[in-house]
Amino acid sequence: MFDTSLAGVRSGGAQAMPGDRSARARLVIGILLAALVITILLSLTSGASDASASAVLRDWLSATEAGALSERDRIIIYDIRMPRVAMGMLVGAALAVAGAIMQGLFRNPLADPGLIGVSAGSALGAVGMLVLGASFLAPMASLLGIYALPVAAFAGGLVSTLLLYRISTRRGQTSVATMLLAGIALAALAGALMGLLIFIADDRQLRDLTFWQLGSLAGATWVKVAAIGPIIALALAAAPFLARGLNALALGEATANHLGIPVQRFKYVAIISVAAATGASVAVSGGIGFVGIVVPHMLRLAIGPDNRYLLPASALLGASLLLLADAVSRTIVAPAELPIGIVTAAAGAPFFLWILLRKRGVLDL
Amino acid sequence: MIEARDVSVSIGRKCIVSDMKFEIRPGELAAIVGPNGSGKTTFMRALSGDLPYTGSISINGHALASLKPWEVATMRAVLPQATALSFPFTVREIVKLGLLGGRSGALPGEEERLPERALARVDLEGFGGRFYQELSGGEQQRVQLARVLCQVWAPVLEERPRYLFLDEPVSSLDIKHQLIIMDLARDFAGRGGGVVAILHDLNLTAMYADRIYVMHKGRLAAAGSPANVLSDELMSRVFECRLRVGALPAGNAPFVLPQSAAP
Repeated sequence: MFDTSLAGVRSGGAQAMPGDRSARARLVIGILLAALVITILLSLTSGASDASASAVLRDWLSATEAGALSERDRIIIYDIRMPRVAMGMLVGAALAVAGAIMQGLFRNPLADPGLIGVSAGSALGAVGMLVLGASFLAPMASLLGIYALPVAAFAGGLVSTLLLYRISTRRGQTSVATMLLAGIALAALAGALMGLLIFIADDRQLRDLTFWQLGSLAGATWVKVAAIGPIIALALAAAPFLARGLNALALGEATANHLGIPVQRFKYVAIISVAAATGASVAVSGGIGFVGIVVPHMLRLAIGPDNRYLLPASALLGASLLLLADAVSRTIVAPAELPIGIVTAAAGAPFFLWILLRKRGVLDL
Repeated sequence: MIEARDVSVSIGRKCIVSDMKFEIRPGELAAIVGPNGSGKTTFMRALSGDLPYTGSISINGHALASLKPWEVATMRAVLPQATALSFPFTVREIVKLGLLGGRSGALPGEEERLPERALARVDLEGFGGRFYQELSGGEQQRVQLARVLCQVWAPVLEERPRYLFLDEPVSSLDIKHQLIIMDLARDFAGRGGGVVAILHDLNLTAMYADRIYVMHKGRLAAAGSPANVLSDELMSRVFECRLRVGALPAGNAPFVLPQSAAP
């Protein structure tokens, strides 16, 4: 037939069909990758010390053991800035991907771990480990070692995500109003329990808590990177397998099932991934809000909602944006440092309001 | 062949469908008709594997309950009544979701252009780049049908027939598109597949169905060919209004039947 022969011609060329945004998505992912590389170099070379980008590059490329950097700059770059950059990338990617997965799962562009109580649950887990790690939870703390804090935060996030999903979803339909309100209630409950834990904490624990709660990448060490790296890597590795299911789920749970997705099992894998990514990032950086809602939303405007591209693009843009926010937090009140959570909230909250205003007609609130 | 025996479905404590008996052979278009709330959609949801049921449902000789979602997805595709989206997908992206399972049955090299061909079949040529959320209800329904067609593009795959489940496929369409869609369903059955359609238009049902299942208060009231089932007595009893099959309107009031459309 006519259109069969045409298909052969078309598939030979690079011309995309109308409505096929995959070529654009791949291009955007390429650009985001390049942007991330540039952001990493900028983050490594900006700060109180003036180790330059070219010196770092020359140091990497130089064959000799001594390299092109002074001993002081080497320590600053390899032991202070590099773990901080690595942690920023991991946390940014985790928060953005967790947001994107959650939005797909709840079929709602406003779902975000920070907004609907998942982060609060993770925080409760982390605070519980910080306060009770020496007494009640001591066996767990010693068994898990450096993983104790991220695992506790993961458990807290998992419990709150499961509760939230159970409460707000009935017969495959998620109610936005119920979800947001249940999230507020869960966050309040977690806040109350955290208050209780802080009440019984001793002085040394209070100091730990305060530093942790500031929401900062300042305490980054290679040990912390090693603690959260595998957890976040696992959650990110699940993303390609989740993408197909999330796309199908956009049509509703029944239709996803008709398309061959084992919906129930799929939802649990998605929830575990969200809790792992959120828990691990909350464990090391406290509360960093709005990355999970701003990043996927911006990308949907650019490349559309296809999760096969949205998830990797979210990871890349989340990593870049968090590094930029960290750079702002380090320089805006230099030589002091602003907690990065303040920077992301100051930029993200107005953005969130803008989404609300634009979508006011669409939301069933 | 799809066979349902003594199927009952309860939602909560309420029994919606009781002792339903149903079968469809390859090459057939079976219509399920009945008044609102008679259990048509609920029965189709049980047939699609969405709702727990008692009794037995088998599809091509396999018990539905023993099949995995992806296995069932290769044997049947389901068109729901309406689908709302919360993300800005293009029409092409939606249609392409039908290819997610990878068992369309299209020839190698054909799959690339399948969304466009499916859209052309539902009279939406050139709509690929439009946003789904900006279309009218009837257009959205046809986009979903194009997606469903992609999933089971070949009515027979590896010598096994495949099925289309259509829940009110023409309810929000104008008469031209009603005929296009029903012709398309007829053609799918003609090429060896099976079609199960919930219909409200008794004229379209009479025109296209090989076999009609009449549901009433959750039970099967009658089953058979259009000539046997569409009787004054049965229609009046089931739909609770006095209907006369084949009677012309009194006087010279105009009427338009789908049957009178020139091919």
